[in-house]
Amino acid sequence: MDRRKMILGKRVNASSVLEVVISMVIIIVVFDIAMMIYTNITRQSLSGQKIKAQAVLGSMLKYIDGSNSNSYQQSVVDGFTIERSVKHYAGNDKLLEVDLKAYDGNHLLLAELNQLLIQENSDQ
Amino acid sequence: MVRATALYLVIIIALVIGLICSSLVAVAYFYRAEYQRKFRYDQLSHNLSSGINILLSTPDSAYQKETKFSLFGNGNDSITLHRKTWGIFDVGIVRAIIQGDTIYKGFSIANTVDSAKWAALYITDDDRPLSLSGKTQIEGNAFLPKAGIQTAYVDNKAYDGDKRLVIGKKLTSDKRLPALDTSRLSLLNRSFSINGNKLKLGDSLNCSFLKPTQVVDFADKPYSLNNLSLKGNILLHSDTTLTIDSSVKMDNVIVFAKAIVVREGFKGTCQLFASDSISVGKNCRFSYPSCLGIIRSKTTKLSPQAKITIGDSGSVNGTVFTWEKIPAALKPQIELGKKDTIQGQIYAQDALALKDSCVIYGSIFSTRFLYKNSFTLYENYLINVQLNSNQLSPYYLSSGLLPVSSKKKKILQWIEEK
Repeated sequence: MDRRKMILGKRVNASSVLEVVISMVIIIVVFDIAMMIYTNITRQSLSGQKIKAQAVLGSMLKYIDGSNSNSYQQSVVDGFTIERSVKHYAGNDKLLEVDLKAYDGNHLLLAELNQLLIQENSDQ
Repeated sequence: MVRATALYLVIIIALVIGLICSSLVAVAYFYRAEYQRKFRYDQLSHNLSSGINILLSTPDSAYQKETKFSLFGNGNDSITLHRKTWGIFDVGIVRAIIQGDTIYKGFSIANTVDSAKWAALYITDDDRPLSLSGKTQIEGNAFLPKAGIQTAYVDNKAYDGDKRLVIGKKLTSDKRLPALDTSRLSLLNRSFSINGNKLKLGDSLNCSFLKPTQVVDFADKPYSLNNLSLKGNILLHSDTTLTIDSSVKMDNVIVFAKAIVVREGFKGTCQLFASDSISVGKNCRFSYPSCLGIIRSKTTKLSPQAKITIGDSGSVNGTVFTWEKIPAALKPQIELGKKDTIQGQIYAQDALALKDSCVIYGSIFSTRFLYKNSFTLYENYLINVQLNSNQLSPYYLSSGLLPVSSKKKKILQWIEEK
């Protein structure tokens, strides 16, 4: 203590008990609010999984050629369970309704994609 | 007295934490907003593609009036579909809507070619052979009369082409040409009696296909179009002769007139329909998908010969056809000039007159051929003509009007999008 006093050449005042208590209360309140905000943001923001699932469905759709009608298929792609159902759209035998759904490990729906394709082998 | 050194520090730390939290909130907000925008755009794009596929897979008569509906019944997948007849093709307009966001695309629709019916040459069986002379080349399937095909000596020139005469399958033609689609013809014929606004044309006119067609009616006064730029959903109508100067720029415009004169050097993409004649000057360029067509549903004794004349060194990328409901004394004729190039289809209900060095990359359907030199008129002779269907682009699309088109429809051209 004497050494520090020698180096700094200045006396450090201690805080009073009341000051420390008030400071602690304020800092706890501020941290609480900050944690609440952080939790809300992470909870409400989009998970990387959802974005990835959406991208997987988008790329899968490109490879559906519209040659199979009335089919249901389940597959695992990049850790997602993908459900693919293809059926005729509104009684139109030239149009196929493709419904793609991506689920996570807990079978929670992450992304869904619907699109109509022209059936390749229809003579139109 | 209470000293507050620790309080100062706490307030500064609280401010720093506050700043970090607010920036975190701002980043999360913008990230979320941007992602939602992209997600919505992707969803709109998928719905738009679905709408386009609906238009391509339904009959021509469907969605002639703008129709709005929900694609999958989800409430956030509304689309509007509208199909318009645009000359020998159709134009489709699809709009995808989610809440306040809308994207749309306009495109022309055409038919794919039916490979079973497609031929480089179809000449009706008139109980006489087809004669070839000079450097004539026929590449692709050919429907020929039962009398067959032979070589001939014309203008002191013997046949100097491939010994096979036809590089492709030789098939037998019928007495009559395969017919044009009557429903499309009647739709086209209706446009000859259309009434529009007598607009004063400025330097340019551009009309979106989202709006009603801008009909410019010149009525019964001959008019000459000069120094103009016309683009999009514009229909020009005249009950008499309409002259189009080379200074006029046309993009996807259609013209219905009694007679149409196109001046030398014109360049553009348009569909020209006349009931009497179309006369195209030298060095004119019609880009794909253009069309020159004669449609005559009423023939009188005084009716002049229905005729399409294309000047020397011209090129048409698209369709050239003649059609007469009731045959007149003078049959309709298509006349090509020297060194003309046609990339597409020619359908001559009666005669097709060809001159030296004509090149046709595509197909000819004709009742007879004419070749005229200084002294003689030759019938059913092909002299120095290059006819090659293999040179036509594999992506070429035809119109439902023509007999070789299949029922399958594809997008011909993107017209506008947003």
